[in-house]
Amino acid sequence: MIKALKKGLICFGLIGIGSCFLWICGEVSAQSSLLFRTYKHEVPQKLQETPEAVAEGKKVYEKRCWYCHGIEGKGDGPASKTMFPKPRNFTRNEYKVRSTVFGSVPTDEDLFRIITSGIEGTAMPFWNTISEKERWQAIHYIKTFNEQFKKDATPQVVSVISIASTPESVNRGQELFKETKCYECHGEDGRGNGPLTVALQTEWNMPYRARDLTKSWNFKGGNTIEDIYRTISTGFNETPMGSYLEKLSDEDRWHVVHYVKSLAKDIASDVVVKVKLWEGDQLPSDASDESWSKATAVEIPLAGQIIATPRQWAPSIDAIMVKALYNKNEIAFLLEWDDATNKQEEVFRDAVSLQFPTKIPESLKKPYFAMGDSGGAVNLWSWKAYWNEGFGAVVEAPENESGSVSEMNAKGFKNVTIQPPESQNVAGRGIYQNGRWKVVLKRTLVTEDTKGDMQFEIGKLIPIAFAVWDGSNSDVGGLKSVSSWYYISLEKQVPKTVFVYVLIAIIMGGSVEMWFIARLRRFPPKVEEE
Amino acid sequence: MANKRNTFLLIWILTAIGCLFVFLKYASPKIFQVLMAKDHPMPTPSTLMMWYMIMGVLAGLVYATTSNQKFADFLSFLLPGSGHVIQSFLRNMLFVAFPVLVGWFVYTWSIPGAASPVELRIQHPTLPQDFEKLENPFRQKDDQAQRKSIEEGKILFQTYCRPCHGSKADGNGPFANSFRLRPINFQDPGTIATVVDNYLFWRIKEGGPGLPSEATPWDSAMPSWKDDLKDDEIWMIIMGEYDTAGVMPRQREKQE
Repeated sequence: MIKALKKGLICFGLIGIGSCFLWICGEVSAQSSLLFRTYKHEVPQKLQETPEAVAEGKKVYEKRCWYCHGIEGKGDGPASKTMFPKPRNFTRNEYKVRSTVFGSVPTDEDLFRIITSGIEGTAMPFWNTISEKERWQAIHYIKTFNEQFKKDATPQVVSVISIASTPESVNRGQELFKETKCYECHGEDGRGNGPLTVALQTEWNMPYRARDLTKSWNFKGGNTIEDIYRTISTGFNETPMGSYLEKLSDEDRWHVVHYVKSLAKDIASDVVVKVKLWEGDQLPSDASDESWSKATAVEIPLAGQIIATPRQWAPSIDAIMVKALYNKNEIAFLLEWDDATNKQEEVFRDAVSLQFPTKIPESLKKPYFAMGDSGGAVNLWSWKAYWNEGFGAVVEAPENESGSVSEMNAKGFKNVTIQPPESQNVAGRGIYQNGRWKVVLKRTLVTEDTKGDMQFEIGKLIPIAFAVWDGSNSDVGGLKSVSSWYYISLEKQVPKTVFVYVLIAIIMGGSVEMWFIARLRRFPPKVEEE
Repeated sequence: MANKRNTFLLIWILTAIGCLFVFLKYASPKIFQVLMAKDHPMPTPSTLMMWYMIMGVLAGLVYATTSNQKFADFLSFLLPGSGHVIQSFLRNMLFVAFPVLVGWFVYTWSIPGAASPVELRIQHPTLPQDFEKLENPFRQKDDQAQRKSIEEGKILFQTYCRPCHGSKADGNGPFANSFRLRPINFQDPGTIATVVDNYLFWRIKEGGPGLPSEATPWDSAMPSWKDDLKDDEIWMIIMGEYDTAGVMPRQREKQE
C-alpha cells in the first residue's frame, strides 16, 4: 500500500514540477536601464608634486591621454577629429567641472574627480581603472601645460552644503529659471533648445550646445543636487554657462537646483515595446491626442551610424521615445525625440525612420539591423520635416505642415528603393514643440503589398529598429543616429475561453484531490514495524 | 523530537518550499545588490529559479520518504485526525488551496503575454580557413619596428574603434550603451586573450556581416572595415589593441 501511495506522491511531484515550468515560461523579463555612471566625489590623499612625479605623469599621459588631448595638450590629438564635444585643451583655462570660482583654474582634487569619473555624454572615459598614483602623476603633468596653475594663488573653492528639495522650492526655482533667463540657452522646457544656444558659436565656429536638462545621463560633472549646485555656482569656463555665485543668493541657487533636478529623467528602456489594443474606431493621428497616455512608453538609446561610410561619429540625438497603439484595422506609432533646433534645409533635414523586416521572422534569423542585407529585405517608414523654399534657404518647419512620409524597401545601404505610389500606405504627421519632435506614423495592419510591407500579426514578436536625422548636425543619408533591433508585440486580449479552462482545471484538480484523499482514508498508511 | 511523531511534517515541508521561493524571489536580489555593490536589485534568473524550486520540491519529497515512519506521518496529516483545531484548519486550507493553485497555473499559462525574445548566439565562431594561414607581419619584426606599429595601431584604434570599444579597450565607449549586443571588452581575459591575431584580423576585416548565422550577424554592430582600412592598418590596430587592453594573444610567435 505504501508503495502505491509513493507512486501517487511522485505523480504529485511531477505535476508540481510541470506547473513550475509553465509558470516560469509565462514570465516576462523586463530590462532595467541603469546604464549610466555617477560622478565620484571622494578623493584620496594627494601625491606630492615633485619633478619625478611630473616625469612619471608624462609617461602616463603619453601612454593613455595624448590620443585625444594631443601630445602638447592642445586637445588636438589624432582621435579628436571624430569627437564632439572636443577634448579639453589643457593650454587654455577652459576647465568646466570645477569647485573653484569662475575663471580660475580647478583644484587638483577637481581634476582627480574628473579623471576618475569621466564625463558622461563625451568621449572622456572613467580612469578609476589605473592606480591613484598614476592619476595624480598625470594631473601634475597636465598642469604643466598651463602657466596659470603656477601663477595663480590657491583658487577659491565654492563650498557645497546640500539643502533638501520641497515643492515650494521647485516652484520658486522655476520662476528664477525664467527671471535669470536660463531658458535663453536651456529652453523653456529645459531641452537645450533656447534661442541663444542655437545662435552662439565658439571662436572656432563650433556650436555651443546647452545641456538638455531633461536627460540626467548627460549632465557634465554629475547629476546629484550637489553637482548641479556646484555647476550653477562656479559656471563652465570659456562657455556661455557663467557663474551665478553673485547673481543669485545661495538660497535662490538651491531653488534653481531643485527645479533643474525635477526636470531630469532617467532613460526608461525595454527590449519589447508593448502595443496596446485601442478600443475605438480611430487611432490617434495627432501627437497631442490624449489617448497616447494609455500607451506604454519605451525609450530607445541611439548611437551614431558607424557601420559604413559616411559615418556619424558625433551624433546629436542619443535617444528616441516610442509609443504604439493598434485597433482591428490599424497600428499607430508616436515617436518623440529632443532636438535643439528646427532648422530645415533642402538636403539636411530632421527626419525619423522605422525599420521592420518585410516579413515576421520564423526563426532567429533577421535581416541585418542596419538597412537589411542581400539575404533579408527591410521595410522602412520614413518621415521628413517640411521644407519647400528656394535653394539654400534654411527655415523652420511650420506647425501646420505635417512633413512628408515615404515607404521604402532596402537590402543594404546601397540598395534602397522607394515603393511605387500605389504601395505608399503610411500616413504621418510631425510637429516640433519646445525642443522636441513628435511624429505619428500610421498604417493598416495588413496591406496588399505583401512582398514589400510588414504584415502585422497579433501576439508575435516583430523586430523594429529606429533611425533619427538631425538636419542642423548635417545629418543626411548614412549620417544619422541608429538603434539595434528591438521588438514590438501587439498585445492579445484575454480570450473568454480562458475562464472555461480555468474552471475545468479547478474541477479536475479538486477531483484528483478527492480521489487521493478517499484512497488515503480507505487505506491509511500503516507503519510496518521492523 | 527524535522519536516523537511529527504530525505537521507536510506543513513544514510546504512552508520550507514557500520560504525558498520567497528567498529566491525577494531576498536574494537585495542580497546580491549589496554584495555586488550595484545600485539596482539583481533578480534571480527565471531558469535558475525554476531549477532551485524543482530541487526544493524533490528535497522535500526525499526527506518525507526517508523512512516509512516519516512517510506515514507525512500523509497522516491529510486524514481526519484527533480533531486538533489548527490541524483541521490547515487541512481544510490545503484542500481549498490545491484546486485554486491548479486553476491559477492554468490561468497564467493560457493568458497571452509578450514572451521575451530568445536570442541565443555563439560568441566565438570558428575562424574561416582563408584566415588561418595569415601572419601578422609586425609580430616578426624587431623591437623598435614593433613598438612603432603598436603606437600607430593605437592611434588608429583610438580613432576608429574607440567610439564603441572605449579608450581603454574595455567595451565602454560612448556608443556602447546604445547597442544591444554590447561591444566586446578586450580587457576581459575571455575575449581577445584567448584567440590568435588572425582571428582579430578576420573580425575587423569582415565585421558583423561576415559572421556565420549561429553568431547572429544581423545583430552585430561591428563594421566590416575591408573597404576603409588596408591590411597593414588592420594588423597595426591589432598590435595597438592588445597593448591598450593589456593582454597578449594566445599564440606568441616570438618572445621579446
